[in-house]
Amino acid sequence: MFKASKYKDTSAKILFFVCAGLSVVAVFGIIGFILYASVPAFRQIGVFNFLFGTVWAPDLYNNGLASADRVFGILPMIVNSLLVTLGAIAIGGTIGVFTAIFLVFWCPDKLRIRYAGQNKFLQKVVSCINKINLRTIFDQIIKLLAGIPSLVYGFFAIEIIVPMLAAINPEGVGQGLLACFLILAIMILPTITSLTKNALEAVPEQYYEGALAMGNTKAQAVFRVVFPAARSGIISALILGIGRAVGEAMAVIWVCGNRAVFPDGLFSYIRTLTTNIVMEMGYAPLDLHRPALIATGFVLLIIVLIINLSMNLVPKEFKGKRGNKVLSGEKTEIIYRKKGLVPEILKYVSMTLATLVAVILALIVGFILVRGIGGLSWHFLFGRSTNADPTLVPAFAVTGYVILFTLIIALPLGIGAAIYLVEYAKPGSKVVKVLRTFIDTLSGVPSIVFGLFGMIFFGDILGLGYSVLTGSFTMVLVVLPTIIRSTEEALIAVPVSLREASYGLGASKVRTIFKVVLPSAFPGIATAAVLSIGRIIGESAALIFTVGSILTFGGSPLDQGSTLAVLLYTLSVEGLEKDLSYATAAVLLILAFLLNMIVYFIERRVKKRNK
Amino acid sequence: MFHKQKAENTENQTSTLDIFDFSGENAITIKDVDLFYGEFQALKKINMQMPKYKITAMIGPSGCGKSTLIKTLNRMNDLVEGCRVVGEIRIGGLDIYDKRVDLSALRKNVGMVFQKPNPFPMSVYDNITYGPRTFGIKKKSTLDEIVERSLKQAAMWDELKDRLNKSALGLSGGQQQRLCIARALAVGPQILLMDEPTSALDPISTGKIEDLCEELKNDVTIVMVTHNMQQAARISDKTAFFLLGEMIEMGDTEQVFSAPKHPETERYITGRFG
Repeated sequence: MFKASKYKDTSAKILFFVCAGLSVVAVFGIIGFILYASVPAFRQIGVFNFLFGTVWAPDLYNNGLASADRVFGILPMIVNSLLVTLGAIAIGGTIGVFTAIFLVFWCPDKLRIRYAGQNKFLQKVVSCINKINLRTIFDQIIKLLAGIPSLVYGFFAIEIIVPMLAAINPEGVGQGLLACFLILAIMILPTITSLTKNALEAVPEQYYEGALAMGNTKAQAVFRVVFPAARSGIISALILGIGRAVGEAMAVIWVCGNRAVFPDGLFSYIRTLTTNIVMEMGYAPLDLHRPALIATGFVLLIIVLIINLSMNLVPKEFKGKRGNKVLSGEKTEIIYRKKGLVPEILKYVSMTLATLVAVILALIVGFILVRGIGGLSWHFLFGRSTNADPTLVPAFAVTGYVILFTLIIALPLGIGAAIYLVEYAKPGSKVVKVLRTFIDTLSGVPSIVFGLFGMIFFGDILGLGYSVLTGSFTMVLVVLPTIIRSTEEALIAVPVSLREASYGLGASKVRTIFKVVLPSAFPGIATAAVLSIGRIIGESAALIFTVGSILTFGGSPLDQGSTLAVLLYTLSVEGLEKDLSYATAAVLLILAFLLNMIVYFIERRVKKRNK
Repeated sequence: MFHKQKAENTENQTSTLDIFDFSGENAITIKDVDLFYGEFQALKKINMQMPKYKITAMIGPSGCGKSTLIKTLNRMNDLVEGCRVVGEIRIGGLDIYDKRVDLSALRKNVGMVFQKPNPFPMSVYDNITYGPRTFGIKKKSTLDEIVERSLKQAAMWDELKDRLNKSALGLSGGQQQRLCIARALAVGPQILLMDEPTSALDPISTGKIEDLCEELKNDVTIVMVTHNMQQAARISDKTAFFLLGEMIEMGDTEQVFSAPKHPETERYITGRFG
């Protein structure tokens, strides 16, 4: 009567394994198909001429004025990409790490403002301010910074950073290398801050206590013991930041100045590998120019892969220093002096930089909301859209479609993969290591490369062209790692005792997973879904060449259109109407904020429940 | 976790007290000390003296306040939010809860060894020189000397002299704990607080640490919290028995174990409760 089905368990295991293995297929697929589409370029231009040529002038070739081997050189762009990344990580890395230190060690829970006056209103205001939990707010700020679409950053850069730089530059130019440094530094801040924060919080508290018991001040304990103990985590955070900066396209597209030459100063116009692709793909002839752009993407992909794989080289555990040899000697009188100043200074550095981050965010959000909300009207939000009078309605529809199709495909795949990794695979086994490496690799692939892959594979080879489906399939690959990671964390958090209770009643593994484990992990999975929605709404580089960028939408999944973020790109790049660009940016920002709130409330509920 | 501490008053003071004078007979004098965690009173009117160059053991059932008391002696309790100390604790002639006392100087003089060994994730050498470096010693030859002296004091020089550059995390639990003792000794403390230093260790390592304590009391005063009554009986000179936040009895170890004055003490050491 009660028959356990061994067969069902085995087939389920295979199914979950396939889900997990998809990441491996995806990574190889992306590398393979982009290489395949680049081959004509490598063949006609020559790998050496392509990589080390210093002239990029495809138009000369397209018009028959020059031979292929002389005008398709990407060396300046490789140099620019690396240079921009170096600057961004120097600025953003420093600020991010110090901000994280401030958040973990010195951020007060609550402000304590004293107000002795009689004014009833001011008294109320002060007591309200004192009630705010500063730490939570700061955490949320960092998360919001991470959720802001890169195009919005780009928009902020061209409207604020560039004019500011132009004011301090005697030649009156704001665009160029320095502007790229700054905006990329801001962009990678949240990644670096939140990962550094995790690394610092993972340091056992006993190290900190031990240092204090030795007579350390708090600053000394933090900078001399806890910080070095978190070293490997912080290095990983910086490497991830580097990967993001190299692959970022949209944030720098309007501020780099777009000249494929070697820079000769901080205000020199430059062009990165990413911007090269975005700027020229739209009109590139298919014979050589387009493959050359795809080949640019291939070079970018290889650079990013090398950077991200270098993470595995970071030593996880402390290794002893060499060269300290102790000799027996005479006893001398030891004089203990007062403590050093450096940690105390670093403490104030971290406080200052954290404040700076808060100011930057306030600037971005404030600026875009103030300028954008003015441009919002009932008509722009919900009115009929035409090419002459574009509204947001088609973009809402396209974005909604892409979210729907992406999640329908990505959620089951991601959850399945997570189930395999947590419930079936042996922890620490080779299979898990390989799968995890590929999932991490997939999450490090730049958006623009996903876009190229989607265009080549789903668009050209499967024949879907520019369409909602092409975009959705592409986005599945983009959000898959996030979903796997969040679901995994949620599954791991489900107590083993629950599983044991289910097994104890004779339930099969599959039944236990579906009836006991997954329901308990539901909030984590919901968080993953919301995060994915945020990523889809904010994504532009992966969608421009898959969903398309036209202003209207036919209504079928096979039609092209543009999502909200792509619309912002189109509106700005074509200079249609500045107010509409601002309004679109404001809508994107508000959506990012709302999604952040949802995640916050889900997480808070989970925390409460677990208490 | 970290942010809750308010132990930063050393940094904002004008005149600081940092000269400790241990010429007196007692290293520690505790007078009428009450301690509160918020509303809860964890220590009630504690009065005791801990004689110099002796081992004082504090025993009692869980939650009796002995760990709380040992943590007030180097003010590690400052880390606990809502912790308030009333009364007077004199160490080396200073009231250590005086606002002007330099916390760094206090903790330099009053070293601590924790229940769980907590070497830093650094080499053996760097662990031991960590404290001296904190206090501004940079000269290589001096540091070398300190390392050798501290390790010899902790009776592990021969074990470790060829492994000074290896990670301290690679040592066994017992070795790690003795390294922590050596690390504490490296800044030349007068007092060593040990909060159940052997509870996480095997019997052989425990024995080594007990032997070490007997050695060390020639140079430092030791205060030890222990759950293990045999341990207290074996190595301590004075024993104090705690129950529900009160000190019930304190005296010479032999007397406390052979002829306790209070019935509660007797019941505890004969194993009838706790």
